[in-house]
Amino acid sequence: MRILLVDDEEEFVATLAERLSLRGIDADWVISASDAEKIINTRHYDLAVLDVKMPQVGGRELKKIIEKKQPGIKTIYLTGHGSEEDYQAGIAEAEYYLMKPININDLIQKINDALGK
Amino acid sequence: MMPHRIDPLGEAGLQFYSKVSASISHEIKNTLAVLNESAGFLEDVTLMARKGMNVDMERLHSLAGSMLKQVQRADTIVKNMNRLAHSLDESWTQVDVNSLLELMKNLSERTTVTRGFNVTVAVSDMPVIIATNPFFLENMIWLLLDFAMTVTGDAKTIEMQTVKADPGARIVFSGLDRLTENKFNDFQTERVRLMLAMLNSTLQTDKNNGMITLNLPGNTESPAQ
Repeated sequence: MRILLVDDEEEFVATLAERLSLRGIDADWVISASDAEKIINTRHYDLAVLDVKMPQVGGRELKKIIEKKQPGIKTIYLTGHGSEEDYQAGIAEAEYYLMKPININDLIQKINDALGK
Repeated sequence: MMPHRIDPLGEAGLQFYSKVSASISHEIKNTLAVLNESAGFLEDVTLMARKGMNVDMERLHSLAGSMLKQVQRADTIVKNMNRLAHSLDESWTQVDVNSLLELMKNLSERTTVTRGFNVTVAVSDMPVIIATNPFFLENMIWLLLDFAMTVTGDAKTIEMQTVKADPGARIVFSGLDRLTENKFNDFQTERVRLMLAMLNSTLQTDKNNGMITLNLPGNTESPAQ
């Protein structure tokens, strides 16, 4: 299983990737949609964890871009934003929608559920 | 029964305050998320050390630095929000426009950055003191910044500059390459006109140079008095 983490909070996403790696999950991370577009041209991912609110291109738009290049990829949205609009969009579009701060065991459970493991 | 009419200025003020609050709470959530992962990583490392695995001391040192940085970040965010909240304490008082402009840049940063804009502030070396309603001046700057983002050129950069006038001060928004008469007229809604009257201020445009100037008076009396 290989997952891609995309979040503009570098210290958050780097530490999260490190913690996932300690639990045997191969996770790459980038801090922008443009970096994500580059990396998905070079590697295959089973699942992407996307921050909904990012500068320039947010997670919802990035999801569409990623799915065009890697059809079938599963998605989990992350956000610190608690608006009803975002929540409704999140649960309609992605496999799961998690609010920051996250519980890593909860995230791993959602990753496994999304991938049918 | 008389139809109920919402006070446009009160409504504008509440919308402004709630938008800033939402943005600030998002920022605080982000700092908490970093601290949460850092604390989680420390827990992971502690468990590994108990099992006899080596601990990377440099990584721990770096993590401590990161956590301190996030605490300072959250402290700055809360201080800015606290300043905004206290700007409602007095309806007419002396403020330093330079300091207020810096505050508004910081409070709007998440919104502007998320929308892909770069906002810079150019202030004079000396304080620019005027008497005004601080909360509605902040609200006016917020509205102008929000409008500026709809008429900015390809560079997506907005400069806010304080200019001392005699009397009073000016705040100049530049980089508005797509500013037109029609768009400016659309911006001047009832609430904007009322807010300008409340601040005893005027707006002036220079479409050729992509600028809007907010002229702030030097008087010390509230127009509401």
